Order: sequence, then structure tokens, then C-alpha cells
Amino acid sequence: MGKKRVSSVIRPYLMILPAMIGIGVFVIYPIFYLAYLSLHKYNLMNPAKSKFIGLDNYADLFARDEFYKVLGNTALYTFATVLITLVLSVAIAVWVSKNTKFNQFIQAGIFTPHIVSIVSIALVWMWMMEPSLGFLNYILKSVGLPTSQWLQSSSTAMASIIFVSVWQGIGYYVLIIVAALQGVSPSIYEAASLDNASKWKIFYKITLPMISPQLFFILIIMTIGSFKVFDTVRMMTLGGPNNSTNTLVYYIYQNRTTNIGYASATGMVLMLVIGILTFVYFRMLANKVHYQ
Amino acid sequence: MKKLSLFIVLTLMISLLAACGGNNGKGNTTEPGSNANGGSSSNSGDKVTIDFWHSMGGSNGEAIAAMVKRFNDAHPNIEVVETFQGNYAETVTKLQQAAASNQAPEVAMIERGFVELFSDAEVLADLVPVLEEVGVTKDDFVQGLMGDTEHDGALISLPFNRSTPIMHVNKTILEELGMDIPTNWDELAEVAKAAVVKNGSETTRYGLTMPYDTWYPIAMIQQLGGTVFDESQTTTPFTTDGKGKQVFQYLKDLQAEGALFYPPAADSGSIVNSMFTEGKVAVLFQSTGTIGGLLKGVDFDYVTAYLPQNVQYSTPTGGGNIVMFDNAKNKEAGATFMQWLMTEAAGAQQFIIDTGYLPITHKMVESNEIKELWSKEPIRETAYKQLEYAVDTNKDLAWPSIQPEFFSAIEAIMYDNEDIDATLAKLQQSAERLLAE
Repeated sequence: MGKKRVSSVIRPYLMILPAMIGIGVFVIYPIFYLAYLSLHKYNLMNPAKSKFIGLDNYADLFARDEFYKVLGNTALYTFATVLITLVLSVAIAVWVSKNTKFNQFIQAGIFTPHIVSIVSIALVWMWMMEPSLGFLNYILKSVGLPTSQWLQSSSTAMASIIFVSVWQGIGYYVLIIVAALQGVSPSIYEAASLDNASKWKIFYKITLPMISPQLFFILIIMTIGSFKVFDTVRMMTLGGPNNSTNTLVYYIYQNRTTNIGYASATGMVLMLVIGILTFVYFRMLANKVHYQ
Repeated sequence: MKKLSLFIVLTLMISLLAACGGNNGKGNTTEPGSNANGGSSSNSGDKVTIDFWHSMGGSNGEAIAAMVKRFNDAHPNIEVVETFQGNYAETVTKLQQAAASNQAPEVAMIERGFVELFSDAEVLADLVPVLEEVGVTKDDFVQGLMGDTEHDGALISLPFNRSTPIMHVNKTILEELGMDIPTNWDELAEVAKAAVVKNGSETTRYGLTMPYDTWYPIAMIQQLGGTVFDESQTTTPFTTDGKGKQVFQYLKDLQAEGALFYPPAADSGSIVNSMFTEGKVAVLFQSTGTIGGLLKGVDFDYVTAYLPQNVQYSTPTGGGNIVMFDNAKNKEAGATFMQWLMTEAAGAQQFIIDTGYLPITHKMVESNEIKELWSKEPIRETAYKQLEYAVDTNKDLAWPSIQPEFFSAIEAIMYDNEDIDATLAKLQQSAERLLAE
């Protein structure tokens, strides 16, 4: 009897052990190590020279203007990317949701950028955005519009990066929403048309609520993903000009060589921000999302 | 109860993992290069494998590979494995991680500005005894390049692929204008303005350009007699004594007139190089390390000259030093490699001839090979002669952290037309904070 109880207590833990080892090694340990580093003036190569400095790294972080600038940039990037992508992908998805040959072609076209490496995409756009020789300014000039400095001025660089990110990501989200639209039961639409509901009313009373789980999913995934943007920044602007496109993750990357403790403290803040965002989303939106 | 046991299991597991991690660390102290060799190094008896990490890609990388091959062919008992680890900053990051886990390569290339990061952590070997064995002392090296080689009385790095900025001139354009090669700032401004060619609103030829780098503003600050850091290394005199302001005002005036093309940050080096070889700019400030590549590209009369003087000639230096790691496994073989590099004609000397970097020892300067090269391509000698005026006023452990702030200031002034005084004041504030740490 006693033996049985012991085994029944231990067995579940044994079962989850392999998974927990993975989580322990790759999630829990790094988080604690990050927290540990953030409390030190850490010398990576010679730990004996490291100093425990309590919350000094955090105090330093919150006292620096550049941190708020970087945080603001990241928030702006996230807000703009998520909003534009969501609105555009819903619009495009509604437009191409009917399963015709032409629509499939359009869908494939919109999806293509998503399967190309962001590095190639960034390079191609950098050439096109070159102010004096680039394709975009050539087009603008030839139709008589004023040209832009694109990535080379701090007033337009962020918008340029947002543009490229949206262009690259939108196909994937269109695909998800099209799938969602096609999953909505036609009987609901039939009932609505029997009631003579207007197209607009059908859209926001039926379509939107029915695809809200997917929209919610996209919202969370995109917010978290955009908050951690790195590749486009690293490839296209190196955080410049004058920190105008510097984002949290790139900021961490910049500080990693010279001040790992400070970089870790920034990493902790990033983790906290994403944690809060996710929590808020689940709390606020969960009851507004319609599950069938 | 359940929660408690879960907690216990978790803690156990983490400590278990930590223990595993520790064991792995110690178990893996064999040199990383042995993997690349399929592990054959251990049973081939006497042959030892050492690692050499560097930041030379492209044609310079090929020159490194050729140099290492010459060494390996001449030393049957030692196999040097050379690995390109990305640009200077990326190599530094990898070296930090390697040193932290006791896996550092025997020999590595470190950009001069980062050397102090490593010497401060006390992970570099003293090279005095290594050089003593072959009868070399630090006096045998070219003085202008020895700026970042000593720490607490030990010799912790040696110059290797070193360069300085220099003025590259399209003499064909100057002849067309009937002007001489500029030797001071006023002449440079005249030449730069005269060389501009406009086609409507579009500038098709500029007078002056330079890569996006802190090097060139620093050179100009020093030409005014200024310094980046003061003697006590607590502040940045150039931000307050008006010299920084004078440098940026000079550049901004030329830029406003359309005479200076200041390139975008990303890929600025290749952009200005191709502008120069295509004849789209008369004067280029650029590293001596590009001479070889530019020579291949130009179809006009190409000469080099000292950077123009203001109150004095002056130039900072750059490029990489090589170091040995103190806790590396095969230090003796590493020492043999270092000795060979510094003394043999097939070592660093041939690499320097292949690439266009500066000769680093007096013996190299006096060697027939270098003399022959200079008589054939005299523009290479200019860079060496300019070393007489080489000085680095940005030596401090904090420089790698201050450099990004300096870059921000350049961007604010050159791209965003922000107020020079306010920008420099901001730079000084961050620099003083970082210097105080």
C-alpha cells in the first residue's frame, strides 16, 4: 500500500522529467542567470573581478535618456507594425478570401516575402531606399513627387523599417485570416442575408467576432515578436541615425561586449514588459474573444 | 505537499544540471580546433594543434590563410588552424565567451581599441619572454604602433595588421583644376569646393569624402592640437576647448556647399571606395589598408599624401594587434607561431606586402622586399612615413563604450543637422560618466 502511494506520487514527476530538464536548462536557468548578471558589474572573462552592485545597473538604466528613447522607439515600432499589419491583413484577407484562381495567385504573391530570408529582404530594400541612386526615389522623382531620405534621416528611418517589416510579415497573417474566414459557417451568412443585413453590419457583427480568436492570436504573437525586433535594425540601420531606430533588443546587443551586467538588466526589463503585455492582453481581451 | 515535492524535484534537477554544466566545462578543455581536425591531433603523436582567430575576410582573409599555410608547411609538428570569426567586434564577443569557458584560442587578433578590455581582465600572456627567446625586444617595433601593447609592465599584445587613415587623391582631377595636392585644411577646402561638378540639382562629382567612422574626426581634432581624453582620463577636452566644434563646423560647411559627401552609416567604406575609383570624388580620407584594393580599381593618376595639417600633422592608428591567451592549452606552440610571425620574411612581413598594412618592425622596414615594394608603388610608403605623426589620444578602458556615443554625435551633426555645441555637450556628459566607472 505504502509502496503504491510512493510510486503514484513519484510517477507523474518522472513522466514530466524529460520535458522539465529541457525547460530547466533552456528557460529557468538562463532567467536566473540573467537576473544574477544584472545585479553585478560582471567581468565575463575573469569572474574574480566581478562586483556585486545590487540594483545599480537598474538605477543607471532608468537614469539614462537613451533608454527611454529606445523604449519609445520599440513601443512605436510595435504599435505601428501591429496596427498596420492587422488592418491591412484583414482587408486583404476579406478581399482574397473567395477561393478563385486569381485570388490564389494574389495570396501566393503576398506570401512570398515571408519565405525569403529577412537578410536578403533588408539588403534589397536598402538598395531601393538609397537616397541618390535608389529605385524608390527614382520612381518618386519621375512622377514629380518629393524624394525621401529613407534610412538616412532620423525622421524617416523608423517609418522605413516599419514599412519593410509590414511588407515582409503581412502574407503570413493574411493566410491565417483567410483560413479563419473560410472556416466561418456559411449558414450564418445566409441567415444574415435573409435578414437583409448590410455588408458592413455583416462584417463587424459576424465576420470579426467569428475570426476574433485568430485575430487575438495574431495580436499577441505580433506584439511579442515586434517588441523583440532585431534583424531589420541590425541589417538596415545599426540603430541609427542618431539612435532613431535603436530598439530594446538591439540596445542589449550593443552593450553586451562592454557591459554585460547593464545589458542583462535591460534584458530583465524587456522580459518584464513582455510579461505585462501578455498578461494584460489575456485579461482584457480574453472575454471579448468569441470561441465557438 | 505536492508543491513542496515539485519544488524539491526542481531544485534537485537544477543543481544536477549545474553540476553537469561544470563537468562539461572541464571535460571540454581540449582545444576547439581538434573538432575541425576530426580529433586526429591527439593520436598523431607529436603534432600539436593551435587555434588562431582573426577578423580578416575577403582578400585579406586569403592572405591570412596563405600565411598560415606557409607556417604549417615549415613546421611539421605544429598545425595552426585559422578561423575567421567575423568583424572586430564579433571576434571580441567570441573571445570573451571562449575565455570565460577556458576555451580561448592560443593566438588571436584583437582590434587595438579592445585590447585593454582583455588586459584588464588579466587573460593575456606576457610576450616579453616569448620575444626574448628569439632576441627581439619591444624596441625592435615601430614606435607609433606600440600604443596598446603594455599593461602593468607586461607586453600583452603586438601590432599586426595596423593601419592609419591617409589622404587618397585623384591627381587627374587636380591637374584638370590646375591645383596642387592640399597640405592643410584651407587648401583642402579650396580643392574640395573647386572639384564639385553639378548636373542641374544633382551633384555628379564631389570634392571630399570619408567613411562613417570616428577615426577621421579624431584625426582632425588632433591636427588642431586637441585630444580625445585628457591626461587623467576623466573628460573629453575637445568638447569644451572648441576644437571639436571647429572640426564639425569645417565638415558641415563643406557639406552645406555640396563639396563634402558624407556617406550613410551602413556599408560606408565600400560606398566611398567605389565613388573614388569611379572618379566621382577628388579626395578621399580612408585607411591605408585599402591601398591595394584601390590600386586595382583606378584608371587615373592615383596618389596618397599625409592627412592635411592644421596647426600640426597628426593621425590616429587602427587595425588589429595579436595576443596570446594565458590559459590556452598549447602556449609553447603558440609562442613558436608568434616568433615566426614577427621574425621570418614569410610571416607577417609577407602578409603586409600582400595586403597593404603597415610594416611593424624596423627589420621589415629595412628588408629588401618592402624596399622593393615601395620603390615600385611609392604611395604605400607615404603611410609609413606618416607614422611619425601617429598618436592615439583615445586610449582608455572605457573607449569601446564611449565610441557608440561618439557615433551618435556624428550622426546627430552630419545627418540630422543638430546643433554642434549641444551635441558635443551631450557627448561629454556620457563620456565623463563612462570614464568615471
